[in-house]
Amino acid sequence: MMELLYISPIHASLAVLLFPLLAFLYQAVRGKRGQSGIVVLIAIVLSTISSVCFVFFQVWQKVPMESSVSWFTVGEHTFSAGILLNNLTVLMQSLVCIIALPVHLYSKVYMKGDPGIHRYWMYLSLFCFAMLALSVANNLLLMYVFWELVGFASYLLIGFWFTKDAAVQANKKAFIINRIGDLGFLIGIALVYTHLGTLDLSELFGKQSPLFEQLTILHKERWMTYAGLAFFVGAMAKSAQFPLHVWLPDAMEGPTSVSSLIHAATMVAAGVFLLATVFPLFNESILLVIAIVGTITALTASYFALAQQDIKKVLAFSTVSQLGFMVVAVGIGAWNAAMFHLVTHAFFKCLLFLCAGAIIHEMAHAIPASSKTDPQDMRNMGGLRRFMPYTFTLMVIASLALAGFPLTSGFLSKDSIIIATFEWAMAHGGAYLVIPIVLVLVSYLTAFYIGRMIFKVFFGKPKLWTDEKVTVFHEAPKGMLIPMAFLGLCSLFFAFSFHPISHKNAALMQGLLLHTSFQPIDSLHLFIPILLICGSAIGWWLGYRWYVQGKYPLKENNLLVRHARQQGYINEFYQGIIVQSTLYLSRGLYWFDYYIVDGFTQGAASLTRATGRVAAWVDRYLVDGFVNAVAQASYYSGHLLRWVQNGRVQSYMGFAFTMVLFGILYLVLR
Amino acid sequence: MIPITHFLAVSACIFCIGLYAVISKRNAIMILVGIELMINAAILNLVAFGRYDKVHYGGQVFALFAIVLAAAAVAVGLSIILMVYRKYKTINPDQITDLRD
Repeated sequence: MMELLYISPIHASLAVLLFPLLAFLYQAVRGKRGQSGIVVLIAIVLSTISSVCFVFFQVWQKVPMESSVSWFTVGEHTFSAGILLNNLTVLMQSLVCIIALPVHLYSKVYMKGDPGIHRYWMYLSLFCFAMLALSVANNLLLMYVFWELVGFASYLLIGFWFTKDAAVQANKKAFIINRIGDLGFLIGIALVYTHLGTLDLSELFGKQSPLFEQLTILHKERWMTYAGLAFFVGAMAKSAQFPLHVWLPDAMEGPTSVSSLIHAATMVAAGVFLLATVFPLFNESILLVIAIVGTITALTASYFALAQQDIKKVLAFSTVSQLGFMVVAVGIGAWNAAMFHLVTHAFFKCLLFLCAGAIIHEMAHAIPASSKTDPQDMRNMGGLRRFMPYTFTLMVIASLALAGFPLTSGFLSKDSIIIATFEWAMAHGGAYLVIPIVLVLVSYLTAFYIGRMIFKVFFGKPKLWTDEKVTVFHEAPKGMLIPMAFLGLCSLFFAFSFHPISHKNAALMQGLLLHTSFQPIDSLHLFIPILLICGSAIGWWLGYRWYVQGKYPLKENNLLVRHARQQGYINEFYQGIIVQSTLYLSRGLYWFDYYIVDGFTQGAASLTRATGRVAAWVDRYLVDGFVNAVAQASYYSGHLLRWVQNGRVQSYMGFAFTMVLFGILYLVLR
Repeated sequence: MIPITHFLAVSACIFCIGLYAVISKRNAIMILVGIELMINAAILNLVAFGRYDKVHYGGQVFALFAIVLAAAAVAVGLSIILMVYRKYKTINPDQITDLRD
């Protein structure tokens, strides 16, 4: 009986990809008639079932599988397109499915009545297809194709409400910054192909491959550093690392459910996933760069999150900050911890966004259409706890997970990163200790800003409606609450580990077991969690005193607060330095082109014209004149002779006598 | 005795008058008259030079011969003019240009 139910994981994985693709095609063909999204929902349900039952459990902790067909041939080398299934890829694929499913269900209610809903379903399917395919692609080139497709689908989704100027600007920004990263990825691919002659992942990084042995030797070579850096730039743009993070907060202009999907498991996770995939390529120096960039990202983003007024922007910066954590984990060599945090983070960040969506939904309904009030502004919220108790509970769970409180999944994964970072820093000693210390600080800040959000939104009094009996707010509909509840359950520890406080026991960490270069230090496993919990608890307590009881009145126009609210003026910096200088450069080039190049051309042209005129004059009056003179001369002499031959006898005679006269004259004068 | 130079000068004048008449007159008859004048100038020369040949009177003989020849030529010329007139209904030589082709 079991044999009958067995489907090859390769085929099942292919099916996982094909369902959203078919749904996308269906939606594209149906157009405006396909508003219900039923087909899309069925597709994602089927994908999830086959991904979890027929792929994940068949491959996880078993022998990796690969299947490919030849794609195209360049010269003597044939590129293959296929599916690679190992622990990492099946984990990623299942995660994308498991996160996408509740988001789809939620969207069904959340996006109800939107005039562009048919487009929404179409784009969402395309996005899911690209992301699922990206996670199981078996070579870097194929991965790049889907990497681009994810970027394109996110462009469509962020600019979904294309009548809003901010949305259009945001999707352009996201697209352009992602293009910078894509260029890095492409350069990395080119370098790898040039030096190693293959892009096949299992050939490159498989434990059996001879290249794997070779890589450790190659690490000393310079091109390897450049290739690692190029791949990291690709990951930086997708995963919103520090200088390239600016697109992510702006991407909040898309529908909240889209933000949820993009931020949780898919697009931004792709960068970390890429880093984990090509991890063996990175040598010591590039790993250090990765760790430093991750640290800066985590710190700056959490700092910016402190002062944001837009509820979704707080969450966006929180995502950037958490991605910084993951990148640090890759940088210290513990990419399994990064993947673990990616998975746990996916659930609670998805939940946070969906809760925020529910709140914004209610706010938008409660605010009269005529008023200019922003439904996402936290200054307008407050006291929502009484109206939306379930949303409140779920959001608190997700926030606690984000802040890393015990019994939540975030506790396990975040501690695994921070402990590993401490161990790594201890092994290197000295200035390396700055990184874990900063991460601890970021962890405190995380607790504080997420606490601030909870307190501002759910506690205190409603700001817009002073009337206590106001009834405009309702709990979110069941269609939204059920997916949220599912994510809430997954944000707790038992979804990942039966041991509530030890990440070592988590199935994921055991599945992705790898040997790090540094020794584990047992005492840290006790010391660090206590440090983090105390700090986070103090952070929440401070937030409670500050925002609920109003004990430390916050000065709004504090320099630091303004700085944080403006996101460190990085956008202005880009505007001033890059955009303006490009504009000036373009203007300069335009001037140069217009006056120097064109001027030279036109000068040459007028010179030629003048020469032409002279030549024409010479031709007309000298050359033609000479020719015409010859012609005229022969004409007149001919005319003269013709005149003689006029048939009149008298003129013949006259001519004859004239000639005789001339003859006589000649004889006489000789 | 009149010197021969006077004869030659008169003869040249008559010849030129005849030539002028031949070239410029609009009437074929007048052209014939011009030709007669030129022949007469020649005859006058013959007669004048004949004075120096008193043995044979070759000049006078040539003069007679030329007078006969001129009479014959005029007869032929007049007959040509009659035929021309019959064909062209004119004897103005300016309008008779068929000699050209």
